[in-house]
Amino acid sequence: MPPSLPKEGRGPSVPSRPTETHDAAGWIEEVLPTRLTAIRESERRVLARLAALGYGEDHCFAVRLAFEEALINAMKHGNRMDPSRQVRLAYRVSPERVEICVADEGAGFRPDCVPDPTVDENLQRPCGRGVMLMRSYMDEVIYSANGTEVHMVKYRANPVRGFPESGRRC
Amino acid sequence: MKVRVRQEGACTIVSIQGSADVGASPALRDALLRAVDAGATRIVCDLSKTDFICSDALGVLITAYLKAHGRGGFVRLANPQKRLRKLLETTRLDHLFDVFPDVACALKDA
Repeated sequence: MPPSLPKEGRGPSVPSRPTETHDAAGWIEEVLPTRLTAIRESERRVLARLAALGYGEDHCFAVRLAFEEALINAMKHGNRMDPSRQVRLAYRVSPERVEICVADEGAGFRPDCVPDPTVDENLQRPCGRGVMLMRSYMDEVIYSANGTEVHMVKYRANPVRGFPESGRRC
Repeated sequence: MKVRVRQEGACTIVSIQGSADVGASPALRDALLRAVDAGATRIVCDLSKTDFICSDALGVLITAYLKAHGRGGFVRLANPQKRLRKLLETTRLDHLFDVFPDVACALKDA
């Protein structure tokens, strides 16, 4: 089970840089400030774990994409770029799967009510593709009831949709 | 990510090298939309050396497309590699953008 990410209320302060803690079940937790430039630093750490375990380039691409989309959504749409709010991230990378949880401090949303960005009338919209991409590139995407937390899983044994795994490592 | 903008006849070639991720999309927005706002309407994005595009960067391409298209122009995509081709198919943006195997093909009839 992933750690319980959503915290009631806001913490006493928002860190200016991601802070990292580990637990016995292998989850690594980070608290990120609501700042898009903070995403890359955490992303590098996650991808380094995939690389260390020999995940292929297609899996790394898929996880990277879903990871970015989840954090962009949490900061932009969840926290509405409010610097007084934070994003909680937890991830666990094993030889069999990659698990990522992201929680924001926003009002929540109903993911099933997000307009389908792939229908013709929405193709010209510059935004609104994050949830669809997460669902397309990960094997499991589960939202909490109020939509403030998302839990995603990518299994190593499952090829990325549309790709036979190339075997090349990232 | 590096963005290089050059002129070839009436067309503007925008080469995107590396990862157009969330950290890089402001630079892409700056370079691409600056070209559009400066009057470029025939734009070819060379994706041959682009290894990643997040939805934010896709939004930049769409914004450029809308601006160029509104003035009778276009934004064409050239030579996206297999993961980006798949991403364009998944998002169905290959139905919005004309995608070409290389820049030379994208410049034909431009």
